[in-house]
Amino acid sequence: MAPKAEAGNQAPPRIVGDQVLRFSKGERLSHWVHAVSFFVLLFTGLGVYSSLFQPAMAIVGGIHVAQVIHRISAVFFVVVVGLLFFVGNPRFHWRWLKFTFNFTKSDLKHVSAFPKEFFGGHGNYPAQDKYNGGEKINSLITIFGTIFVTLSGVVMWWAPHFPPSLVRWAYPVHDLSVFVMTAAVIGHIYLGLLHPDSRVAMSGMLNGYVSKKFAKAHHAQWYERLKNEQQNL
Amino acid sequence: MTKKMVFVDTSKCTGCKACSVACKEWNELPAEKTQLLTSYQTQKNFTTNTWTYMTFIEKYENQTMNWLMRKAQCFHCADPACLKACSSAAITQTESGYVVINQDKCIGCGYCVENCPFGVPKVDPIKKKSSKCTGCIDRVENNLLPACVQTCQPGALAFGERDAILAQAKKRLAEVQKTHPKAQLYGEKEMGGLTYLYLLLDSPEVYGLPANPTVPLSLTLWKDVVRPVGSVAVGGAAAAVVLGVFANLWRGNYKEGGKD
Repeated sequence: MAPKAEAGNQAPPRIVGDQVLRFSKGERLSHWVHAVSFFVLLFTGLGVYSSLFQPAMAIVGGIHVAQVIHRISAVFFVVVVGLLFFVGNPRFHWRWLKFTFNFTKSDLKHVSAFPKEFFGGHGNYPAQDKYNGGEKINSLITIFGTIFVTLSGVVMWWAPHFPPSLVRWAYPVHDLSVFVMTAAVIGHIYLGLLHPDSRVAMSGMLNGYVSKKFAKAHHAQWYERLKNEQQNL
Repeated sequence: MTKKMVFVDTSKCTGCKACSVACKEWNELPAEKTQLLTSYQTQKNFTTNTWTYMTFIEKYENQTMNWLMRKAQCFHCADPACLKACSSAAITQTESGYVVINQDKCIGCGYCVENCPFGVPKVDPIKKKSSKCTGCIDRVENNLLPACVQTCQPGALAFGERDAILAQAKKRLAEVQKTHPKAQLYGEKEMGGLTYLYLLLDSPEVYGLPANPTVPLSLTLWKDVVRPVGSVAVGGAAAAVVLGVFANLWRGNYKEGGKD
């Protein structure tokens, strides 16, 4: 649908019919490669988190196979996703970063009102832009979690080449990053798949488009800007 | 079994390396090609097949040479960092004080290697198993002396009940200090108390031993803080999601396709 909206470097028409383009092809690809490799990494890492999980490693062929898969998926998680940043329309990626690192007062209001909404109530907060406060926090956790899990992972992978004092610190850093990312991903999946109000956003990560209705209700500031931009074209 | 102790009296050691040979014989560890490294020392470090070796240090003071020899092996700490670091519950401690690696459970992750303050365990990259001195637990539990102690000719090694051996070591220290004023015991308090107690003729640093070995702070933080707190956080997130689904059900938000 409307492939033009994703290609080229000109401002593309973002509102098509009753749909609004939210995520470019490149963004969606990065998201899913990152997501799938995250879960493969999480599963194959469980064997060294607790020996209770070691029997489950038989699914992939034993703990030593799990170790190899862990390292292969780490390459996808870091290198492939890193390269994908420049695939498709990187402007979308850059804009995501710009949004993520611009945490506003309105975001803070969203985050403080959100727990109510999380449990099915109605939170009062100002109209949000393309990413609301919670989504920005999720992005920040993903970015910094990935950075720290990668740096510590590199040290653990090539442990004999690093001083033991550094390797020792890599273990808690690796685990801490994983705990934070896993807690975040649990909430992320809930909001994407199970939460009655926000799960309609899922289509944005599948075909790229969300409904006008959703955009107006959840990201009014973003929708209004797109509408004005499109009218001024 | 009560706490045991091996007393390594370096003042009596002649550096004959018979302990190293006896260890290899009893534990069926193949010999390795060695070369002269420094002084009479031929082994640089522990390997998966060398669990005990001799270190030789030539220290010159006032035109005289002090020839410092030490039998190196796992100390079998009362508070072992390797055990705490183990990912697979493969390292355990016996009542007698020995720290042993269960080869069947070991997956060769190397966490023990990185966290031992003495650099004792070594992982075989092919077998993917970590190994180190067992303290001859199989002999000790059958009322035999450890192989190294059994073979020691000058009587530098003594094995027995912890209390009795500690008293013997202190008595011997008083004797040795008359001629070697820097002599000291190493292992009474270190790492909660070492099963292999040393009488050193000089400070530990001279022998290349850490003066104050400790369980690494990063390890305590990892296993006692990050792991339990992180696990609770992940469990908390999962509980919040379950609660969220039920709250939404209860509020009827899943009917008529949500309220947008």
